[in-house]
Amino acid sequence: MNFSLLKTSAPTLAIAVAYFLATSLSGEEITYEKHVRSILKTHCFQCHGEGGELQGGLDVRLRRLIAKGGDSGEVFVAGKPDESLLIQRLRDGDMPPEEIELRPTPSEIAAIERWIAGGAVASRPEPAELNPDNYITEEERAFWAFQSVRRESPPAVKSRARAGTLIDQFVIAKLEANDLSISDDADAKTLIRRVYFDLLGLPPSPEEIDAFVNDSSPDVYERLLDRILNSPRYGERWGRHWLDVAGYADSEGYTEDDPVRPYVYKYRDYVIRSLNDDKPFNQFVVEQLAGDELVTPPFENLTTDQAEHLVATGFLRMAPDGTGIGGVDQNIARNDVMAKTVEIVSTSLLGLTVGCAQCHNHRYDPISQEDYYAIRAIFEPSLDWKNWLAPAKRRVSLYTDADRAKSAEIEAEAKKIVDERTKKQNEYIEATFQRELAKLDESLRAPITKARSTPDKERTAEQKKLLKEHPSVNVSAGSLYLYDKKAADELKKMDDEASRIRATKPVEEFVRAVWESRGKALPATFLFHRGDFEQPKQQVAPRELAVLTSAKAIDLPANDETLPTSGRRLAYATWLTSGKHPLVARVIVNRIWLNHFGRGLVPTPGDFGALGVEPTHPKLLDWLASEFIANGWSIKQLHRLIMTSTTYRQASLHHDEGDMVDADNSLYWRMSVRRLEAEVLRDTALAVSGELNNKAFGPAVPVMADRVGQFVVGKENLNAGRPGAIVPMKGEDLRRSIYIESRRSRPLSVMAPFDLPRMEPNCTSRNASTVSPQSLMLMNSDFALTRAKRFAERIQRDAGDDVSAQLALAWQLAFAATPNNEELAEAVAFVEGQTKHFAANPAPESKDKKKVAPADEALASFCHALLSSNRFLYID
Amino acid sequence: MNNNDQFQSTRRHFLASNAMSLSSVALAWLLNQDNAFAKSPRPELARKKFTLDAKPAQQPARANAMISLWMQGGPSHLDMFDPKPELQKYDGQTFPGEIKYDNAAQASATVLGSPWKFKKHGQCGTELSELVPHLANVIDDVCLIRSMHTGVNNHGQSIQALNTGQILPGRPVLGSWLTFGLGSETQDLPAYVALIDPGQLPVMGVENWNNGYLPALYQGTVVRPQEPRILNLTPPARIKGEVQARYLSYLEQLNKQHLEQRPGELDLEARIASYELAAKMQTAAKEALDLSQETAATKRLYGFDDPACKEFGERCLIARRMVERGVRCVQVFTENQRWDNHNNIRSALPSACKKVDQPSAALLADLKQRGLLDTTLVHWGGEMGRLPVIQNNAGPAKVGRDHNTYGFSMWLAGGGVRGGMTYGETDDFGHKAVENVVNHYDYHATLLHLFGLDPEELKFEQNNRERSLLEGKGRVVHEILS
Repeated sequence: MNFSLLKTSAPTLAIAVAYFLATSLSGEEITYEKHVRSILKTHCFQCHGEGGELQGGLDVRLRRLIAKGGDSGEVFVAGKPDESLLIQRLRDGDMPPEEIELRPTPSEIAAIERWIAGGAVASRPEPAELNPDNYITEEERAFWAFQSVRRESPPAVKSRARAGTLIDQFVIAKLEANDLSISDDADAKTLIRRVYFDLLGLPPSPEEIDAFVNDSSPDVYERLLDRILNSPRYGERWGRHWLDVAGYADSEGYTEDDPVRPYVYKYRDYVIRSLNDDKPFNQFVVEQLAGDELVTPPFENLTTDQAEHLVATGFLRMAPDGTGIGGVDQNIARNDVMAKTVEIVSTSLLGLTVGCAQCHNHRYDPISQEDYYAIRAIFEPSLDWKNWLAPAKRRVSLYTDADRAKSAEIEAEAKKIVDERTKKQNEYIEATFQRELAKLDESLRAPITKARSTPDKERTAEQKKLLKEHPSVNVSAGSLYLYDKKAADELKKMDDEASRIRATKPVEEFVRAVWESRGKALPATFLFHRGDFEQPKQQVAPRELAVLTSAKAIDLPANDETLPTSGRRLAYATWLTSGKHPLVARVIVNRIWLNHFGRGLVPTPGDFGALGVEPTHPKLLDWLASEFIANGWSIKQLHRLIMTSTTYRQASLHHDEGDMVDADNSLYWRMSVRRLEAEVLRDTALAVSGELNNKAFGPAVPVMADRVGQFVVGKENLNAGRPGAIVPMKGEDLRRSIYIESRRSRPLSVMAPFDLPRMEPNCTSRNASTVSPQSLMLMNSDFALTRAKRFAERIQRDAGDDVSAQLALAWQLAFAATPNNEELAEAVAFVEGQTKHFAANPAPESKDKKKVAPADEALASFCHALLSSNRFLYID
Repeated sequence: MNNNDQFQSTRRHFLASNAMSLSSVALAWLLNQDNAFAKSPRPELARKKFTLDAKPAQQPARANAMISLWMQGGPSHLDMFDPKPELQKYDGQTFPGEIKYDNAAQASATVLGSPWKFKKHGQCGTELSELVPHLANVIDDVCLIRSMHTGVNNHGQSIQALNTGQILPGRPVLGSWLTFGLGSETQDLPAYVALIDPGQLPVMGVENWNNGYLPALYQGTVVRPQEPRILNLTPPARIKGEVQARYLSYLEQLNKQHLEQRPGELDLEARIASYELAAKMQTAAKEALDLSQETAATKRLYGFDDPACKEFGERCLIARRMVERGVRCVQVFTENQRWDNHNNIRSALPSACKKVDQPSAALLADLKQRGLLDTTLVHWGGEMGRLPVIQNNAGPAKVGRDHNTYGFSMWLAGGGVRGGMTYGETDDFGHKAVENVVNHYDYHATLLHLFGLDPEELKFEQNNRERSLLEGKGRVVHEILS
């Protein structure tokens, strides 16, 4: 802008101001579509255009509609913002009405002023009518995330020596443009620790570190990656990442009852196995969205593959679900499940908050309410709220015909005992009654006997009174134990025997699955006014979001006649994984990147829309997405691609230059330092202490409240509501965290403070907070102190009697590093100090009469310090 | 917008500027405390934040703290609080009305007159039995409600009713609601404390201080009768004091060396600060639990020189110290079944009274003398009373009374409640509340009123449903307000 204009005469100044107002700071023309519509869409469209009835007769969805004005007449005077009603109402805060919390910002109001001042122009001729398709403007359609993936060659860079892979060229080019450079490679010990935690969520052993550090062959790093990627622990680590976005929980949630979800663990195991097998991600998605459509009904005598396809659909059963809980309004709860399922599918696979369009058009993204219901229609035949499958009925038995026959045989055996027991019980009740009767006056005995044998309904008032006056004669099956414990015990024994026989039946296992009910008409999907299922409007057919239709989305069938199902989900899943969908590959690639660097190329992994943050490296994102597809959607191949880059292998040290230009490290001038996630922290403490039980798969290890209400691993054993005797866990309590029950209402106390996500309904990225409850947990909790003790015992077993050797080994196990002389000397001094104290204050004799040596206690204290230190908690 | 989605980069800057002022971080037991640091690109869309910062009441408040002395098992109102001449008249005869028994095998229809004598006390002249002589000394500060009713004859369900507003399990308890609505006056101590008995956990165990569907931040924190008094906050005895001090100083040394090698790594600095804050909380808890600071006179008042009531006296004194230091809600529990006198009532009931009577009365007198009674609401009571007839008719020493939730007594004092009065009546045999009945809904409505909390405003959204303590029920018992 030419500032000399300001010195000239008043009329010229007015022109200058008008010129300023009519242009944005970059000097481009202000138009309705580019600068104003998104503001009005956020704040005004709902009442002035989209909500059915027009408030004040004013529609603001097009420039020409605003020009028409409303009941109060014209709302703007082109060129004169001060005389425009629209501006007055915004400035005065009359609009939006005061009860609306979301307010336009002063800069948003200023933008509208500038638009009016500049003549209130539109970019192009506006449509004669608004429909879902042309309702999306060109500007919205041009948004980066809705464009097809475009593979471009990486840019040339100056420091070619550091650009070992194509990824590095993208990264370094950007660094060079900002006068930054990539850091030096991390040293071998730092790197191997990083790689282990990244891929397995567990630390490397001292032997593994030594082997790596001492191997000078050129492909030592690549071979390391191959070896780790083949570890069965890999699926447990990366499976957890997928379970986060899928919203996995071992319970239904929804109300405080939070019932357990039986058999859901098979889905968890399916995810772990799929990742270990490097199942192509496209296949992984198709199975989860439409696995049932890959199996020919009826679902009987299933093969392993067929069972697995059904288990995979558990993905669509992850939402919190109150429909099996008494006292819950079924219609609300069912529609909630559907809404949450759409939310999980869209945030996990599309990176879009489609769920925001349930009640009204999305305020920020070009997703209409009709779009929302079109997506819902894809799932309606399998989650049909008018024809609902209660949670207990969503299972498919894995019983074969042979299992069934065997089971019937055993039941007949048990029945014999049960019949015998019933006979005995009746005899005991009668005998007890006779004894109680004998205690009463003789004259009462006959009438009471008669009253008792008369059915309740036929008893006379007198008989009822008689029984009430002598309550002790009311012996029943339920109260027999109060009179005759011996008899009750004997009956109990027979019960036990029947149970024992029944326990020999072949165990009937089930898979939780989704399927479409057969032989019924397909349910219709309606747009619900304001999201209220009691106000259905027009019927909506299944289809892709309108804004993505230009990406050549295939047409979704309403009912595919060639399949026993509607074919909707299968067709949708096929389209999503066709390689042409603009979002799916980008979203998963971004997620994998996020879990390697602590930050996604798109920093908001669950929202690639207008409210999300644009990619820091859009070309790299697209290149990775296209490479991922070209490599057959192999996730392990993508790990190799990323982890062999210089970008990944660089050191994590700060320097002033970098901190000044890019404090967030969004340009990757160093590796970011990351804190262990909740599960990794627990698993690593167990691994270091030598206790970790690596048993994989199977039902979740239960979580219970302990005597003070902390949630701990353990089998609930309540006695009148109070915790009873502790049930031995036989090492199950030492399994990896992914196998510990994740009950929504019982977050494990040792993990909860470390940002363990609540699945309501899912988690698209975790936080890494730093708060004092974490410190208290590490300082004082039974978990931390027990690990420290076991860690010390392990050290004593493995390192012999020499204190320095003990401390060095502990250091190595906890930090994957060797202490230097100074560090070792300080460690020795600390242990000596603690030993002296413990020697002067001997421990009281423990229950098992074992003496605890002061040195042992001191070593445990040292191990405790290591386990609570930053070097343990953070990965360089 | 997805809940867990956050723009991670802003957090780093936020932390950088706040690393040294972490004291605002609440003592958040199980909270996924990322809320405290969450910053959304659109703040208006950010998820709701929950803290324990003190919040103003919505209406003028009379009470700002509560101490609840929870007498689980069902203290016999007929033998302590609610004299019935008819009961004495029919002693040993058949009960003329209808009775619902819990235990049919031991049930009888024979009336049991109270073995203890009642007398008028204080200026108000409220009649109390000889079992509670210390309460008699402070009766002019007490509002005795003789018409309590929950109508569910089970311990568990009736406890739920009085603790959470309904007989269902899993709902948030009153203490959780109070801290949710009002926060806490201290950030160095837990906002809501449950002092459990060294004997046994109360019936329903941890449900007694459970936050239900409210955020875990509002769960009660158990103060145990032995070390470590507060799990995770205070260290186990073996590593207390010098051992821990040396551990913390070595840890700081480790962390500082680690940071020196990684200059500029702000999260590492923040964690060093969070250990300092944690140590500060430990000190505050230790100080609050240190009864050696109390005078000999105070200790005597609470019954420290009588072994029968010393332990309960200690917990009552801790309750006062907690409230003094800004804790919002304290519950003191007797062990399970202490008051559940199905048999042997002649010996068991006096022993239960002996345990709690002097300390309970001392708490009132002490609060009053310190000017705290005006704003501290004290509650004393169980989940039920007892029946007017004999259970276990096996000789005078062995007789007891069965459950009765249709009519029983409890008392309130301080915090805006009128002292020196009785409210409500049971029938001639003390079986059912018949006049000015106060059920659990009314009880809670009255408490919220005293704390200035509008029952319509105190609500929590769960799965698009608005949940509240009262769920629209209950009446404020204005007659007992001062």
